[in-house]
Amino acid sequence: MENSETNVTPLLSAEAVDMSVLKAFEEMHSDEESDLIVELIDLYLEDAPIRLKEIRDAVAENDASLLKRATHSLKGSSSSIGVLQVAEICKKLEQMDCQESPRQVEAIAQLLDYKFAKASEELEAERQRRLS
Amino acid sequence: MFTITQSSRRVLVADDDPVMRKLVTTAIQRAGLVVVTASDGREAYRILQSDAGFKAAVFDMMMPHLKGLDVIRYMRTEKRLMRIPIMIISAEQDIKLMANSFAAGATAFLPKPFTPEQIRNTLHMLVGNVKPTRQAA
Repeated sequence: MENSETNVTPLLSAEAVDMSVLKAFEEMHSDEESDLIVELIDLYLEDAPIRLKEIRDAVAENDASLLKRATHSLKGSSSSIGVLQVAEICKKLEQMDCQESPRQVEAIAQLLDYKFAKASEELEAERQRRLS
Repeated sequence: MFTITQSSRRVLVADDDPVMRKLVTTAIQRAGLVVVTASDGREAYRILQSDAGFKAAVFDMMMPHLKGLDVIRYMRTEKRLMRIPIMIISAEQDIKLMANSFAAGATAFLPKPFTPEQIRNTLHMLVGNVKPTRQAA
């Protein structure tokens, strides 16, 4: 039977990044500035791995406080620029207790790594497309 | 018409997330305002201890060291800061958090994720109409 905390099946089929969310910020861009979308991608790809490491550390050490803080932070930036699957997994992890269900938390944290890698590829491709 | 001085165009932005900081900063600059950034609540608090020349402030709810609501509570106890309108940005859309923010003294609440239009409208609510100024490079 499906468990509401671990039911991430819908996440497996969709795109990792909803580019329409990210590209909506193009309207805030002005001609004199560098490409805002590229800047956002660069900032995200620089900061998210730090949060992911914190999440891995929190899972390894059963640190509920660090897990909540790191997933909360990654959820906010991910949802804001359209990295919706990562945001959704962070939301699930944020609500879970790594001391009560460590194996489930570990499994979802691994899925988070996988989805982030997929999102990174899509963001990197968008970045290259804009710079070329 | 009236002339807006440089200090009354300044907005303090505190967020530990560089992506959110960039988004908020860009939206504020597009509104013709000048941004002073802090990377967490403690840095915002330190800036406010010696500088009250802000038209508005924008804080993330969850920041290391000092949370957004704690900075608001400090500002609301200081006579020189208590009139500065404050926007809280939060990854939660929880009604209780929103109520807590307003109870602490926030003027506006913006949940993440937000669209360009949503942040523009919330900024407008916070600072009113500010004509963008073109500055020489």
